[in-house]
Formats: sequence, structure tokens, C-alpha cells
Amino acid sequence: MSHRALLLVIEHGYRGTVEVGFSDLLYVCRGLHRQLGGADIVLRGSAVTFAVRAASVPPVRIGTGFAGAKPDPRGSLRELLDDGVRAWVDERDLRHLGFGADQVIEGVVPADTAELAVRWPDYRGVWFL
Amino acid sequence: MSRAVVPEWDLLITLTAPPFGSDVVTTVLRLLDATLRRGARVQVWACGYATSLTLRSLGEFKPADLANPRERHRSTAAVVTDLLGAHPDDFAWHVCRFCAEDRGALDHVDGVSTRSFSRFARRVESSATTVYIGGA
Repeated sequence: MSHRALLLVIEHGYRGTVEVGFSDLLYVCRGLHRQLGGADIVLRGSAVTFAVRAASVPPVRIGTGFAGAKPDPRGSLRELLDDGVRAWVDERDLRHLGFGADQVIEGVVPADTAELAVRWPDYRGVWFL
Repeated sequence: MSRAVVPEWDLLITLTAPPFGSDVVTTVLRLLDATLRRGARVQVWACGYATSLTLRSLGEFKPADLANPRERHRSTAAVVTDLLGAHPDDFAWHVCRFCAEDRGALDHVDGVSTRSFSRFARRVESSATTVYIGGA
């Protein structure tokens, strides 16, 4: 039985830079985790890229200044892991996008996330973000 | 012998996609920045929920990042205001009046004009190239 309140499933990855700013979906997850009694995360579809190690990208410069903050989903994911959140990433979707399990951020568990459905009753809610 | 008419604008970007469903706003701002840097004359026509990008009520900055409250980030309205100031003769941002009225989004930052959709053809005719970024 899980002691977490929520299982948060994210299936849609990059959603823009200026649009998202610092408030990427994993930043939102941190708020849900802290406010609602704990959360775990499942990354599927293009959102598996949030769990893949990659170099930092520069912020978007428009005119003479920067157009808002840049999203940092990998940084947000690492902060969530530090907060005790458990995170799974879908192995098949990783492979489909050309990534291997060895490229995943430490602490995130590659898995068949469809099989994780057997754990859904352990949570008060399963939310698809 | 007729003389060729030189279009008033090099590029018209028509943006109808809503700002928070995908990366269209980033795309438009980067296209805008790149073309203005090359000396092009560019106008934007914002429809649908894209009319919210230049609302005066957005202020200069986005809401604070609770994890890093000392850092402030400019709003899209401020970014457009800066571009209008830097390119007063080469850049215009128009807002569709119908879409703006339909969303209660009529008060925009200085320099942004609201225009009737019935005159949209004039925007197209006055531009050498029109790029339509849809998704509304």
C-alpha cells in the first residue's frame, strides 16, 4: 500500500519555452506533492525526455533581453527526487524515441508503465497532467 | 506601363493558436526577432486567445517563481512593448477586435492596435509574405 496521495502521469513533453517559463509541469508537481500529501510520478510518451540526461539549453533571447525563464524539467525532476518523490519512466517510449535506460537521470526507474496500473488502487487519485 | 507596387510590409505573421497549448508563441517571437534583426518590416495579427499576450493587466513581469522569488521574468506584453520601442517604424502588433471583445481582452499595452477582422484582407494585401500559424 502506498502512503502517497497521488500518482501523477505526464504524457506530453515539451510545451513551449516562453509559454511555460519556470512553471514546467514538474514544477507544478512539486506543489501538488507538498500540498496534497505526497505524489509519485510516471513519465510516458514524449514526456520521457524529461528523464533523459541532456546538456542545458540557453534561454530565449528576444530583442535586447530574455523572454522569460526557460523551463528546466530535468532540474525540476531532480528536485522532486530530492523531495522523496518516486518516478518511473516508460521503457518502451524511451526506446521509441531512441534513448536507452542508461541515459536516464539517476533515481528514475525505467519500467513498463502500463503494468504500474496495478498500483493505481494504492493511491487516492491518479491524475493525468 | 504599370509600375510594380512595393508592399508596405515584408511579413505578416497571423497567430491564431492559443498561447499555452504548445510552443507557438516561442516560435512567433523567435521568427519576429530574427526577421526584425535582418531589417524586415513585420506585422503580427493576433486572433483567438493570442489576443491575451499583450494585455496591459499582465504588467511588466510574470508572477514570481515561488522557488526563486528574487528572479523576475518579463511578461509577453513587456517583450512586445520592448520590440515596439526598438522598431517603431518596422514592427506592428495588431489584435483582432472581435476575438478580444469575445474574451474581455480589450485593454492592451501602448502601441498595440485593435482592428476589425473585416479589414484583415488589407493586412494580407499590404504584406509581401503571410505566415499563418493556426491551431485555434
